[in-house]
Amino acid sequence: MIKFISSICIISLLLATSVFSETDEEKGFRIAKESYESTRGYIDSKSDQIMILIDPKGNEVVREISGKNLENMDPDDGDKSLIFFNKPKDVEGTVMLSHTHVNDDDDQWLYLPALGRVKRISSSNKSGAFMGSEIAFEDFSGLDYRKYNWKYLGEENYEGEMCYKLESYPKYENSGYTKRVGLTDELLRARKIEYYDRKGDLLKTIYFEDHKLYNDAIWFADTFHVVNHQNDNSTIYKWKNRQLNIGLNKKDFEKSSLMRLAD
Amino acid sequence: MQIDSLIEKSLLKLFSHKIKLLFFVFFLLTIFISGMRFLETPSGYRGFVENEFTHYKNITDLEEKYGQIDVLSYAIKPSKGDIFQKDVLLLIDELTRNSWQTPYSTRVESITNHQYSTVMGDDIEINDFIKNIQNLNDKDLLDLKSKALKEDSIVDFTLSRNSLASLVNVYLQVPEGINFEEPMVFAEKQQAYFQKKYPEIYLGIAGTVQYAHNFQTTAERDSTTMYPIFLILITIISYLLLRSVIASLITLLIIIFSILPSMGSAGYLGFEVSPPLIIAPIVILTIALAHSIHILSIAMTNMSEGMNKKEAIIESIKINFVPVFLTSLTTAVGMAGINLGRIPAISEMANTVIIGSAFSFILSVILLPILFVLLPVKEGRKPILVLRYLKILGDLIYKFKYSFITVIGIISIVLSSFLGNIYFDERWDNYFDRVPKWLEVKNVVDKEFGSSFFLFADITTGEDDGIADPKYHKKLEEFTNYLENQYTFINVTTVSNIIKSLNKNMNGGESKFYDIPDNKALISQYLLLYEFSVPYGMDLKNQMTANKADSRLLVRINYATATEVVKINNEIINWINENMSPYKTNGLAGIPIMFSYLNTENAKGLMRGLVFSFFFIVIIVGLALRSVKYGLISIVPNIVPFVLGFGVLGIVSGMVQGPHQTSILISLGLVVDATIHFLTKFQKATNMGLTAKEAIQYCFKYVGYPIIVASVCLFIGFLFLTQSIFISNYIIGGMCALIIGIALLVDLLLLPALLLLSTKKV
Repeated sequence: MIKFISSICIISLLLATSVFSETDEEKGFRIAKESYESTRGYIDSKSDQIMILIDPKGNEVVREISGKNLENMDPDDGDKSLIFFNKPKDVEGTVMLSHTHVNDDDDQWLYLPALGRVKRISSSNKSGAFMGSEIAFEDFSGLDYRKYNWKYLGEENYEGEMCYKLESYPKYENSGYTKRVGLTDELLRARKIEYYDRKGDLLKTIYFEDHKLYNDAIWFADTFHVVNHQNDNSTIYKWKNRQLNIGLNKKDFEKSSLMRLAD
Repeated sequence: MQIDSLIEKSLLKLFSHKIKLLFFVFFLLTIFISGMRFLETPSGYRGFVENEFTHYKNITDLEEKYGQIDVLSYAIKPSKGDIFQKDVLLLIDELTRNSWQTPYSTRVESITNHQYSTVMGDDIEINDFIKNIQNLNDKDLLDLKSKALKEDSIVDFTLSRNSLASLVNVYLQVPEGINFEEPMVFAEKQQAYFQKKYPEIYLGIAGTVQYAHNFQTTAERDSTTMYPIFLILITIISYLLLRSVIASLITLLIIIFSILPSMGSAGYLGFEVSPPLIIAPIVILTIALAHSIHILSIAMTNMSEGMNKKEAIIESIKINFVPVFLTSLTTAVGMAGINLGRIPAISEMANTVIIGSAFSFILSVILLPILFVLLPVKEGRKPILVLRYLKILGDLIYKFKYSFITVIGIISIVLSSFLGNIYFDERWDNYFDRVPKWLEVKNVVDKEFGSSFFLFADITTGEDDGIADPKYHKKLEEFTNYLENQYTFINVTTVSNIIKSLNKNMNGGESKFYDIPDNKALISQYLLLYEFSVPYGMDLKNQMTANKADSRLLVRINYATATEVVKINNEIINWINENMSPYKTNGLAGIPIMFSYLNTENAKGLMRGLVFSFFFIVIIVGLALRSVKYGLISIVPNIVPFVLGFGVLGIVSGMVQGPHQTSILISLGLVVDATIHFLTKFQKATNMGLTAKEAIQYCFKYVGYPIIVASVCLFIGFLFLTQSIFISNYIIGGMCALIIGIALLVDLLLLPALLLLSTKKV
């Protein structure tokens, strides 16, 4: 709660001083940075995740995974994550390890139980669809201010709350987007982001819902609701049983541990 | 006669309120004309088919699952050597990158951005097939070429088998009700840019998007180039025929106010300006012109014989009211038969003409007399020369009536023997062969890739992740082998290709592992890995459903005629029914299949339409003349032109397509007109107590000239239509001109002879 109150104080203070010299770019960057930093300090986390893919006719497909994350304190590098695939049945036991990088290709290893081997995949794949959903891998780290150039566009009322409207442009050259327009509320929580594709057309919107305050310090949205405006598909991505700072073994996040973890 | 006095009374009433009426008529016309703003731009080939048509529904069902099938393809072919040269690859690479900017694009596939996997032990790299082009040396280029030719999903899709040509395919998802204008404008800019930058490399725009776009541009080009010239031409003709500026002005007004409100009504009815609709104004024009010429020429003849203007026009309307009504009616009935065909765009054209013939009738008997009385029409000089020749002709026919009948009879029998050469078929792929740019790119794509048209088949398993089952891939392989043995199919691509190459790469890149593994879980895991590895717009959503229950295969089809395609598809459906279980599929879907079935069913529908229209026209003529004898006689001059016309076609080519049939229905109603005019006058003359010989001379005097005039105008109108760059319009124009030309000769030479023979009182 202290963090919550203090952040409000800081914001008010900054808002008061911003009148003087800050450009829209600086202000956008500052808010994005503060927003990102407000989600930091989780050390590590684990959660169950459920993903529902919905086509325009309303047909649903369910995917279930669980994940572990390890925060990277290096200001120039990204976090590490493990994804355990549970459903559909055929991919049960598959594990993916990612070492993400800020503006570079990620390192990824995949353990395929049916093959009994770990494969390293290198590709510029951050823009691809995540398990056939409307979410791209790059969207998971979409709050990382270091990956974008920012611009503050003004204030906008969203669901009765004042939000900062921020425009951002990806720095990563293989990004699937040219532009994003997002709303961040006064608690520095992202509420929604609109994504524009390579030709500058609106592609999709992610609505961040079910915000929960974890460990009395960090807000996480436990639902991503993604609507693709071009093909009318949508995806609902839910986090369950999210736990922070649980003392995960750092060694689990190395390639050599993948096969062991799968059992 | 009752009707005559009714006409006289009504016209006199009309004249006494002429100014008020004139305003009222123009007010009504304006309301109709304003509907033109609702005329819709064509939706490409989709306007050629009803939404419920099975083989179109197969396409839309497929699109709902896998995205739109429409593809914008750039064909690239260097003037020398194959495409594995630096500048060619640089062009393809830049074009590929730019193409992501294409409006409504969702996916871009080319040889450069093809997702290619390479293996180093347990490291798998999935990346663009060709990159860093500037740094490639000759050995690299050769190496790329040999690798490319081994990739199933490159050869015949983005690279021709001989490596001489390449395609960049841009897939579009265009919202309903929006045409391909924007993407095509973008594509043409790209084309211009690259032609300037690389003048040695051919770059053409092909694919179904260009094909669909042709429907729009040909209609536009036809209407902007053909109409103005045609209108001027007709004005000149009507002046030459009537020898009066005012009379030709009246004609022009009747024509314009027959055409515009008809097009406006078409707008209110939600019709599209697709290429066939271009025909409508031309046919309406000729109908209105014929009506005006018939009424005006007799009115002016009356004036030269001493009647005043009102009397002259009233007498002319008395003579012409019934034939003008009947000719409008028969034209409409002929057109109505076209509605039994299956192509909405052509039915819309026919229905617009039906509306137009109603307008031209009403205006000819209401607006025309008012204008005639209001405007200072002077009696024209009589075409004495023509009348003299017609009189001589009448005498000749009387003298040699048997010879005329025999000669025409023999010609008919000889030509009808060529009718045996005729067979029904259709080539939907040649619709735009008169568009130079399209023909050019088509020749490149067809030669190097077989065709730019694809067929698809949705093969469903009915259970989630069913497509990971090795049994499914066995079936796909059987189906692929079966299809590839059909001579018209060039190659078949399935989701198996991806799994095979993944299996190879997961096993150290050894080619003996280019096969489907016998393990469903492994296949699922491969697919999962693949999905994680490909960038935006390169995923598998265009070939498998999200629940992995269904996948679609892709076939490139070589040119085949409609009959061939229908036959092959029926065989395929049989094969599927016998061999595909437990998997299900509706068989192949795609534009080639759709058009083949559409045209085949359209041909059947038009046949029924022909029977329907012919039957009703004969009845109308019989009823109008209140005589079975004349009804039967009228059949002869109306069948002979078609026998002769199609006999000529039998000599020239033999293939009868939908447009040929449509041309029968269009010209049927028009050809009958001359017969009706001739027979009504002949009847009138014999009723007046003239002998058959005198009656013939009477007919030649009063209707010979207008019939010639009307037929010549129709002939010119349809001949003009052969300037259309849309092949169906070209065929319709040519056939109608031929038939109407023959019909004129038959009406002048055979009909009088027949009448003379059938009348005892000589």
